[in-house]
Amino acid sequence: MPSSNDWINNPLGVVEEMFVQSNSNPEWEAKVLEYFKGKLKEKQAYSWIPSLNDVPLHYLKPNSLVKFRCLVQDMFDPEFYMGVYETIDPSTKAKVLRFGKYKDVTELRCVPHLQVDLNSRNTVTAERQTFYCVPIPGETLWEAFLNHSHTYARSSQARVVPSTSYIPSRQKRSYEEDDEMDTQPQKQREPHTGGSPQLHANGDSKRQETEAPSGQTTSPSNASSPLDLNFPLPGERGPACLVKVYEDLDSFKLNDMLEVYGILSVNPLLSVLCEEKDPSASLLDPTESMETPEEQRAHDPPASLVPRLHMLHARPLQHNNPLLPSDRAEDQHAFVSSFMVEMASVRAEFLAYLTHILLGDGLAAEYLLLHLISSVYARRDVLPLGKFTLNLSGCPPNSSFTESLHQVIQELVPCTYRLSMTLHNMNSLRLVPRKDYVANRLVSGALQLARNTSLVLDETRLEQGQLDASGVQNITALGNLISWQKVDYDFNYHQMEFPCNINVFVTSEGRSLLPSDCQVPLQPQVTPPNLEEYLSTVHKAQLTSQINKFRVYLSVAQTLDYSISDEVTKAVEDDFVDMRKDDPQSVSAEDLHRMLVVARLLSLSLGQTSLSREGWMRAKHIDMLRRTRSQPQTTVNGNEP
Amino acid sequence: MRIATLSLTTFSVEKCKKFLQEFYSEDDNGKKVFKYGAQLVALSHREQVALQVDLDDVAEEDPELVESIRENAKRYTGLFADAIHELLPEYREREVVAKDSLDVYIEHRLMMEQRGHDPTDTRNPQNQYPAELMRRFELYFKPPSTAKPKVVRDVRADSIGQLVTVRGIITRATEVKPMMAVATYTCDLCGAETYQPIQSPTFMPLIMCPSQECVTNKSGGRLYLQTRGSKFIKFQELRIQEHSDQVPVGNIPRSMTIYARGENTRVAQPGDHVAIAGVFLPLLRTGFRQAVQGLLSETYLEAHSITLMNKTEDDELGTAELNEEELRQITEEDFYEKLAGSIAPEIFGHEDVKKALLLLLVGGVQQAPKGMKIRGNINICLMGDPGVAKSQLLSYIDRLAPRSQYTTGRGSSGVGLTAAVMRDPLTGEMTLEGGALVLADQGVCCIDEFDKMADADRTAIHEVMEQQTISIAKAGIMTSLNARCSILAAANPAYGRYNPRKTIEQNIQLPAALLSRFDLLWLIQDKPNAESDLRLAQHITYVHQHCRQPPTHFTPIDMKLMRRYLSLCKRRQPVVPEALADYITAAYVEMRKEARVSKDTTFTSARTLLSILRLSTALARLRLVDVVEKEDVNEAMRLMEMSKDSLQADKSNATRAQRPADVIFSLLRELATEGVAGRGGSGGLVRLAEAEQRCVSRGFTPAQFQEALEEYEELNVWQVNQARTRITFV
Repeated sequence: MPSSNDWINNPLGVVEEMFVQSNSNPEWEAKVLEYFKGKLKEKQAYSWIPSLNDVPLHYLKPNSLVKFRCLVQDMFDPEFYMGVYETIDPSTKAKVLRFGKYKDVTELRCVPHLQVDLNSRNTVTAERQTFYCVPIPGETLWEAFLNHSHTYARSSQARVVPSTSYIPSRQKRSYEEDDEMDTQPQKQREPHTGGSPQLHANGDSKRQETEAPSGQTTSPSNASSPLDLNFPLPGERGPACLVKVYEDLDSFKLNDMLEVYGILSVNPLLSVLCEEKDPSASLLDPTESMETPEEQRAHDPPASLVPRLHMLHARPLQHNNPLLPSDRAEDQHAFVSSFMVEMASVRAEFLAYLTHILLGDGLAAEYLLLHLISSVYARRDVLPLGKFTLNLSGCPPNSSFTESLHQVIQELVPCTYRLSMTLHNMNSLRLVPRKDYVANRLVSGALQLARNTSLVLDETRLEQGQLDASGVQNITALGNLISWQKVDYDFNYHQMEFPCNINVFVTSEGRSLLPSDCQVPLQPQVTPPNLEEYLSTVHKAQLTSQINKFRVYLSVAQTLDYSISDEVTKAVEDDFVDMRKDDPQSVSAEDLHRMLVVARLLSLSLGQTSLSREGWMRAKHIDMLRRTRSQPQTTVNGNEP
Repeated sequence: MRIATLSLTTFSVEKCKKFLQEFYSEDDNGKKVFKYGAQLVALSHREQVALQVDLDDVAEEDPELVESIRENAKRYTGLFADAIHELLPEYREREVVAKDSLDVYIEHRLMMEQRGHDPTDTRNPQNQYPAELMRRFELYFKPPSTAKPKVVRDVRADSIGQLVTVRGIITRATEVKPMMAVATYTCDLCGAETYQPIQSPTFMPLIMCPSQECVTNKSGGRLYLQTRGSKFIKFQELRIQEHSDQVPVGNIPRSMTIYARGENTRVAQPGDHVAIAGVFLPLLRTGFRQAVQGLLSETYLEAHSITLMNKTEDDELGTAELNEEELRQITEEDFYEKLAGSIAPEIFGHEDVKKALLLLLVGGVQQAPKGMKIRGNINICLMGDPGVAKSQLLSYIDRLAPRSQYTTGRGSSGVGLTAAVMRDPLTGEMTLEGGALVLADQGVCCIDEFDKMADADRTAIHEVMEQQTISIAKAGIMTSLNARCSILAAANPAYGRYNPRKTIEQNIQLPAALLSRFDLLWLIQDKPNAESDLRLAQHITYVHQHCRQPPTHFTPIDMKLMRRYLSLCKRRQPVVPEALADYITAAYVEMRKEARVSKDTTFTSARTLLSILRLSTALARLRLVDVVEKEDVNEAMRLMEMSKDSLQADKSNATRAQRPADVIFSLLRELATEGVAGRGGSGGLVRLAEAEQRCVSRGFTPAQFQEALEEYEELNVWQVNQARTRITFV
């Protein structure tokens, strides 16, 4: 049997061995999967496999086993490959059976005179599918960092200046560059994935040198026009990857979060293929390829930029919070139940923290907390249940309040993105993914996000002006996202509905022009002279351990189960009827929906997995508080709810 | 082995020949019609290019052959072509006029061959005229009608080599390019001609002359390509993508490459819905690419027939498959309630509204007596307070209807709804661009926020709603476009919420001309009612409690099944029998009378009568019968009545709730405003005597009047002067 080191460094060797042993019995494929699954189950195996997210590509050994935490951005058409083929040596006529699974190219190059016997009876044609995967969009710095340090067992204090070894190349939207990113998304993108200059300026010049050539030599033809790696959010970086999927094709869906374990393939031949197909060549030989040059670029980018990953095993991720054990269900269960005890106390601390951040407004903080733990838990036909879009109105305009707020959220949730709703952004950004039929790929948009991503819409930035057609579409898309939790991807000839689960948080001056489940006007209790300073001091006052606790708290609350007993249901129903009796205008069906969601979130935030009468009364109470607060505003703004 | 296959080939060719020669069908007079024989004649005279062999016909003769053809279509294409090639001379009845240079070329070669024919001279196979060059016809198979079209994602590796039918939407079509089928070369020394049939997308041109003369003399004659002697065929590459409804949730639609040759080119354009029958084949790579990409093989579908279809036809195809079991499932007892309940099952209640929407989907029968056109489409307007799920109903109908457009009043102008004349930026020509109403022809146009539309834009709809056409007279284009669509509008009351203290006209604020064009006008109100509130609360809490729909006494009918059933209904053309005509007229007269008495606010006009007819024919259609029955009419009238009730019930409620004093107050205020209008603005001044008279005439006692007078005076709403003759509004 292969040694333990082998299966990480040379997985193909393992496969080969099994293939030879099997004697062309088709069961070898299942055996391979079984073997790797078994190996991965071994303790901590998950964590010592190098991750494509953290380690630059050129440090990874080709054809070794790597893992990649990613989002399925696009699914290409299935391709047919020779699962088993026979090679023939023209001189000796010796035939050898080989397998084509987990490989991109034949190994004929090493033995030049060998030929593939295309007419062999032993050839097995099989089907595999390619997924275009990108790192999870909007992954926050702490998240990527913790995941990374998890891998290398590094202490979390090393965060600030990593001088000795590599830190994640995905320099996330750090605070200073936030604004430039929003307005000039393309500028930050580099033609090569390898480096992030800002970081290397920290005195790691040696690495930079070694890195630069590796990024450029491979594809001189691409140097002039950087390859669009098709990340959903502007300013993202990181490795994109073509994942070749062999089994259970139907179990994967677009926008799924996966942790893929597979064999890395960066065969330079793939890049040769790509270069060979420059425009002049295709002009000479138009029938040679069915694909347009654009399509070639999209589907077969140079392997140095977009490595291929042959999937051996994939783990769908429910959340990507590294602080929570995600390996096994029973682990998680134990973890959650141990955390449940602390729930209420952490909640209190967290609420106090949020109250500080929201300038002393306890009610707004309460609602923000509920918003952060909300998640779509079911869909009833078209209506998503559990969504809780919060509109925080009354935010001070022309200040960095929203930004600071976003920074706080960034520290708390695994994935977030702040969309500054400036007129320019609305008119120019591509929010909805669109199918590009020329390149035959799905061009991503900012709304192609992973589940439970926190999307902060900054409406305070909106000014008067003209929205053009794409601006109107973008606004409509945002509205659809909020009301139905779905995004209609544009397939040119028709639209396709993709359900999503995104927590939308709108900050605005007055009532937002977007719909929302619940609007809370901010009523600051303190008016610090310098808002930014105030927020940063509050922010800094928190200990990392405490922040970590909050992070765990949010993820746990999001995943808890919840139920309503029949008894409480009855009480709620009666209550509703009574309320209607008193004042029919005050409570509508929608209000009941919302209050039930509030009640659910309130109970969960306290770690209660079922609704109690007190929980319901509390929900009613805070909803009443909120409504009395927003009453004057609604009458000013019109009579639509 | 070799001989065996050879004999098999000849055997099969014979089989093909026999089929082509002998297949016939009988026409009405019992005469034999040789379907393929006639086509062969046309082929031999170069009047027809493509011959389509219908596998249904083959099945009549030899069912086994059909299977072999489907399994191995590429090979049988060749066999049939060989058979036709051999048969054609027999079918030639007269001299054929050469149509193009290749015809002349072939003719010359044949003549030369006959003239200088030397039986002993065995020709070099390279120099023989290849069959591909001489053939000027194309052969295609039409898959048997029993074969179901496949979804692109179901065409897998095991389908390679088979004849398959796929459906999808064209997303890309290249230009039609000439593709070399046979390359002809001449030698620069000996003048001999050499032919090279080409099968693959690429070929290696021949360089050295292989003729006897050059080879023996070792003269090294060079070959030159003769364009005029070579045969080219039209070639087009298409890409289709599966329909959105064939894609599992959360997946990206898949696509497939199609190669179309000869007569199949230029059939479809991007955006067309097509069904393509063809042979699924792997693409063979040669040279370097094969070496490096040896593990992969690309596939394509060699098109045999490309059929265009639009989306509605596509759905009708489904109707044929509506089997008895499904029919039974629908046409159970209370199927009417069941169908109506299946519309937007997630929306609670509103049974009558849903019934009306169901009838809108089915539509009434369009009548055209003596050239006058009376529309059959039913228009419905939903009014209601915000948040009573109007938009949800609309979007559900939008999804359910096979053809529909969804717009909102706020976002669309009259031009966007009807049609716009656009100047093409390239050619400068004027073109018509259809708006939502034109695009929804034969379907449903859902307009949300109808009230938010500008009046000018709304009038653009008038024509559509009654005449079902759109006339354009703009920029040199005068035309009339069909817009036979049902309009489903949703509007909020004028003041955002329905104000029961105001009259219906004030609440709706839509012109009567428009209102009368709606067959049904529903007011969905959010009325407090302990019983229905409780049911609503139960519904909502159930959903939250169990994360799913509460169990109902029926399971909603699947959307697809419903769509198919509706299109089945639409085929019926029920008529109103003579006997019912009297009943309907009597009912109508009764309604008019009632309307006069009750000071009806919604208009009961001749249009109402037509609406009843439309609704009752729609009901008959729903039952899949051809004659309207009395129950249909009754139900139609009941719906009319309910829709009116929805508008009025509240009013009566409100008046009942009002105290006499309030009514008197509003009467006086009316009087005051009348006075202002009449005398030119002398302020809210009312003569007491006049006011009292007005109130008494409305059935109030003088005591009530005095009471109201005092009460409102106390409230400081008005003042009565000392002499108690005048009331002044404050």
